[in-house]
Amino acid sequence: MQNAEPRQLEPDDLHEVTHYSSESEIRDPLKLLADIVGDAMRGRQLAWRLFLRNIRGMYRQTLLGLFWAFLPPIANTAIWIFLRSQNVFDSGDTTVHPTLFILTGMILWQAFVDAFQMPLQVVSSNRNMISKLHFPRESLLMVGVGEVLFNLAIRMLLLIPAFAYFQVVPGSHAFAFPFAAAGLILVGLSMGLLIMPLGSLYQDVGRFITMALPFWMIITPIIYAPLKPWPASMLNWLNPPAPLLILSRDLLLGSPLEHLWPGVAFGVAALLLFIPALFVYRISMPVLIERMSA
Amino acid sequence: MSQSTTILDVNQVWKSYCRQLKRSMWYGVKDLGRQLSGRAGARDPQHLRPGEFHAIRDAHFQMQRGECVAMIGPNGAGKSTMLKMINGLIKPDSGSITIRGRIGALIELGTGFNPILSGRENIYINGAVLGMQKSEVDRLFDQIVDFSELEHVIDSPVKTYSTGMKVRLGYSIAANLRPTLLLMDEVLAVGDVGFRMKCFAHLRKLVDEGVSIIIVTHAVAMLSRVATRSIVFGQGRIIHDGDLETGTIIYEEELSTRATAHQAAATDNEASTTVARIENVQTCDESGESQAEFETGETIALRIELGCDQPISRARLVVALCSPVHGELGSVSTPHQQFEFALEPPGQTIVLTLPRFPLMLGSYHFDISLYGPETTDFYHRSCGRGSFRIVGPPLDANGYGLFGALKLEHHWKSEH
Repeated sequence: MQNAEPRQLEPDDLHEVTHYSSESEIRDPLKLLADIVGDAMRGRQLAWRLFLRNIRGMYRQTLLGLFWAFLPPIANTAIWIFLRSQNVFDSGDTTVHPTLFILTGMILWQAFVDAFQMPLQVVSSNRNMISKLHFPRESLLMVGVGEVLFNLAIRMLLLIPAFAYFQVVPGSHAFAFPFAAAGLILVGLSMGLLIMPLGSLYQDVGRFITMALPFWMIITPIIYAPLKPWPASMLNWLNPPAPLLILSRDLLLGSPLEHLWPGVAFGVAALLLFIPALFVYRISMPVLIERMSA
Repeated sequence: MSQSTTILDVNQVWKSYCRQLKRSMWYGVKDLGRQLSGRAGARDPQHLRPGEFHAIRDAHFQMQRGECVAMIGPNGAGKSTMLKMINGLIKPDSGSITIRGRIGALIELGTGFNPILSGRENIYINGAVLGMQKSEVDRLFDQIVDFSELEHVIDSPVKTYSTGMKVRLGYSIAANLRPTLLLMDEVLAVGDVGFRMKCFAHLRKLVDEGVSIIIVTHAVAMLSRVATRSIVFGQGRIIHDGDLETGTIIYEEELSTRATAHQAAATDNEASTTVARIENVQTCDESGESQAEFETGETIALRIELGCDQPISRARLVVALCSPVHGELGSVSTPHQQFEFALEPPGQTIVLTLPRFPLMLGSYHFDISLYGPETTDFYHRSCGRGSFRIVGPPLDANGYGLFGALKLEHHWKSEH
């Protein structure tokens, strides 16, 4: 390298002009969106490298390796199946065997929780890099989404023996499952992006989430069939992940699509919310970096 | 930006921070609200909220292509904040920063390394973090490994590397960036001397190629190897923007002012309660004219005015020459040269002469103590007095002239 011929800077090198001021980028939302898309495109190789780094690093120093990806839904399902067998609760009319019903619900719920917690986690675990290097911040989100999808895919493998054991064949609408599951992840991701700035400033937010998640899971129809009588049925509407979780599970298990429209409505809402949530993520970054390093 | 060769324009930039954690978080929420509602920029930069201080005040400078600027100043002076704003990590409260071309930053070498993964894997990861494409890293891989001199451990996990090895790997990856403006923050303070020299040679090559470099460091002695201009920060303000030699001296003075400010206050209090005290201290030339700037080799005279309320026979003075960078350089006393004096009220003046002053470029001061004849007869100590500068001759860190703190009397000869 030190012997290489000096390469004079080309005039083209100077065409790129960057301007920083106190003005908020939100004043020009179209430019902001274009910048986000541009940075996402520029950061995709970095995202892939970081994704590989995290996946390789995640299990390299473990004895059980990928088994740790399977363990949480297996352990959760086992606990709830045991409690159900002891008549602690009633799963209601689940259309398929409750074990498969709960396992599917658990896997989907875990994907939602992973997506919801991801923005706060990626900012927190990469704060050293964020506060010292200028790189497309969107790449961290892409890494996070990649990990959520990777973990979901790994856990979905558990369903193959479960479907075979309970002799369940996915329904004719199963092709739409990836869309519904993507919608569910998008709901979690958008909500996670919106709370990320406050969660990065105040640890109370993270602590509250840790405390609230078990309760949130209980009011979501994961271990029991969706509640039909009013007013309990309102929980399916007021709880953001519920409609898409129910729809995803119904699509996969071939159950009647009783929550198709609520699911579609929440999917569209999540899409609409995602763009402002991305704005919040991007705009909050300099303010958060000041507090990371001040 | 007015001229095509101007690659950086920092225009009336202000930045404030809050040191109180809870307030800082609350201001964070408010700032976030202002940014999200599009109201940012309306804030008066001179107005500070409770608990805030100005990290940067009205900073204004430009940089041209191929310029290497040293940004120096004591801790907390604002240089790293300025670097973060230029790097786009944080936003100014007021003012603007315009950069023409691609920015590269060597802020903390090896940021993003995964310790479990090998050096080879981390080269690709770190390359991507710094904005390099995989094909670029593929092409440069052998050069990176060669430059780092880590061929033998490149497939071992990075956690088995020493700190110096990690820095070498980090620098070698980052060295392949070809930005228009390269920002460096304290990255050359570590690593062995050989590798550091290699880095300086590489930086000089970059400057020759037209890359502009900003180096933030406390290790000012080595800056002359690459930098030609210095910007000195003091309490958030730019207190010097010009040649490196003057900047280095001003930086040392700033350090000295900080270090001696509280000592001086304490000794002033002591002076009011003691029967004998050091009152005025002044540096002069050979003829006794007051002077604060000298060249190496000149004679420096120190006039020390002493005051007393009662006679003190066989008083003693101890004068230490100090540098804010090197600490106490040497100390002399009146008894050492059998110089005896008695103090009679209201006092008298003693002159200390330092002929052929051997120290080179820098800022210096004296710490002076006044004693009676016995070791335990202490009257007064006054620190940070008689500050002066050595302003020439220039130093040469590249091995073609004089360098370091001390001008050595020397002769060369050849023997066969």
